[in-house]
Amino acid sequence: MEVLSNIYLSFSVAMQMENLFYCFLGVLIGTLIGVLPGLGPAATISILFPLTLKISPTAGVIMLAGIYYGAQYGGSTTSILVNIPGEAASVVTCLDGYQMARQGRAGPALGMAAFASFIAGSLATLFIVLIAPPLARFSLKFGPPEYFALMSLGLILLTYLSSGSMLKALMMASLGIFLGTIGVDPISGYERLTFGSYTLMDGLGLVPVIMGIFGISEVLINLEQSIKRDLYKTHISQLFPNLRDWKDSIPAILRGSTVGFLLGALPGGGAILASFASYAIEKKISREPERFGKGAIKGVAAPESANNAASQGGFIPLLSMGIPANAIMAILMGVLMIHGIRPGPLLMKQHPEVFWGVIGSMYIGNWMLLVLNLPLIGIWVKILKIPYAILFPLILLFCVIGSYSLNNNLVEVGIMIVFGVVGYFMKKHDYEGAPLILAFVLCPLIENALRQSLMMSHGKFTIFLERPISLGFVALSAFLLFSPLLREVGKRVGAGLRT
Amino acid sequence: MVDCSFARNRNRTGKEMKRRMRNSSLVWAALGSFICVESFYMPLGSWRDPGPGFLCLGSGISLTILSLICYVQSWTVDQEPVPLPLPRPRSRNLVYAVAALVIYTACLEILGFRVATFLLLLFLFRCIEPQKWGVAVGGSALTTGISYALFEMWLKTPLPKGLMGF
Repeated sequence: MEVLSNIYLSFSVAMQMENLFYCFLGVLIGTLIGVLPGLGPAATISILFPLTLKISPTAGVIMLAGIYYGAQYGGSTTSILVNIPGEAASVVTCLDGYQMARQGRAGPALGMAAFASFIAGSLATLFIVLIAPPLARFSLKFGPPEYFALMSLGLILLTYLSSGSMLKALMMASLGIFLGTIGVDPISGYERLTFGSYTLMDGLGLVPVIMGIFGISEVLINLEQSIKRDLYKTHISQLFPNLRDWKDSIPAILRGSTVGFLLGALPGGGAILASFASYAIEKKISREPERFGKGAIKGVAAPESANNAASQGGFIPLLSMGIPANAIMAILMGVLMIHGIRPGPLLMKQHPEVFWGVIGSMYIGNWMLLVLNLPLIGIWVKILKIPYAILFPLILLFCVIGSYSLNNNLVEVGIMIVFGVVGYFMKKHDYEGAPLILAFVLCPLIENALRQSLMMSHGKFTIFLERPISLGFVALSAFLLFSPLLREVGKRVGAGLRT
Repeated sequence: MVDCSFARNRNRTGKEMKRRMRNSSLVWAALGSFICVESFYMPLGSWRDPGPGFLCLGSGISLTILSLICYVQSWTVDQEPVPLPLPRPRSRNLVYAVAALVIYTACLEILGFRVATFLLLLFLFRCIEPQKWGVAVGGSALTTGISYALFEMWLKTPLPKGLMGF
């Protein structure tokens, strides 16, 4: 009964005209940026972040959420037609999607990507409805030690799962923590590294840092190289997959949805990891693994369902526990907090319209995306032909306006440019931005939880080991942190024994 | 976040990777040391009641130690080269783009949003990836107009008027 009343509430909020409009706007923009390589959902969400201050918080989060999962839909279009992923989470779709296009099956590939995303998104919405309330009740048992341990686990998991070096990811997480401390200490009022600047007294703004690290740096990287796009010239027809395609894909979609949702809900997980994991699983269990990479439709269905399920699964820890699962959830958390809404276990009680409205809008958004992505494929293909030389000035301009419009402060624009250059050098030297951003956003919460925990325990760190939930998180963190080292030691010992 | 650099065509030898790793880790170690030094000027508090410098110092120590480990690894561990061939990078574009943004930021409140934005876009359209004059001027004017309408008129974001009052 509780589930039914929650579903009723979610649709009654999501179907309000204002929320429907911003849901549509969000998924449309999301699809657009998913189609266009060079601008990701993180940068777009941070650019449009200031706009949400003019509308209700529910509508604002609905729009930004629509951008996030809409981008997963749009990213598959360029992966299939151009062999360039529009989104990082669509990298894997290139492998089989482009091959299908070359075999004259671009239509079924695009169609299956859209349908798989829709099915996965709908399933993920249902999972959220079922799981979020009990998870929120469970997290009411959390105190400062549990929150500190969980957030630390989230950071360590993100570094463990990073595509590059874990060591470099940990360095970026440390740097993110430091950047989060800049400003006036909320407990003592002491100024930390403000150098007398009034702007820095409020801390480094989330929007300029994110726009710099994700938006400006991406443009700088792209300007350095010319990206050639080989748009595969084929007449796209027959968007509906045939019966055999469905027979091959349905199990992959169901597995991908489950894997994607679980990995998306894990702090530190996300759509990128989910799409890679899902593809790897399908290839592993397939009776014909040699077909992967040569146009197997499962190779499109699985990662596309996983990335969409993951993008929605990421809302679970944010809405239920107040912990962002990845950098994009961290930005959304910032949106809610600027509106005076604290995500967490009390969100359902204090702001049920926000909680359930966002969930209901995800289901409606998935329908909108199905309509946008299939009949409008021709328009998206035309948009793909817009040269990057025309797009990048617009991206830079919107980044600047977005940073300026928050507080009418040019210093924040300067901060954005500085982080843009820093982000550029980070990318050149293979340092990832996601651990930095997640740590930056979590820093105030981590610091608060740590200080409260130590006050509770009179300075003893054993408090994190004395409480069972916290102990579980600490044990998992330690395992993740030291397992690469143990694996390396084991390899060397084994090699030594063999010789 | 995955860096989709396979689409950008980059060829790096293992030696170059090691050199980059060494240089970058030294930069981060220096920053970490700076953070540690600055943290000592802040009240660190006690274990029972950590002060504002506590987490700052912790992050500084962590960054410094990890950077030094990274530095040592750059000498001892083989770095895998990224195999794809690459056209010569156009570094000039980066300098122009960053310089344009800095100058735009400095001039925004002097010239006003509309003039400064038009000039910025004109420069970016013409000097970085040169477009025809018609496209550059038309595109700059159109984009300036649309962004003004969107932010100032629809979203009521007060954009700077400049010394000339527009």
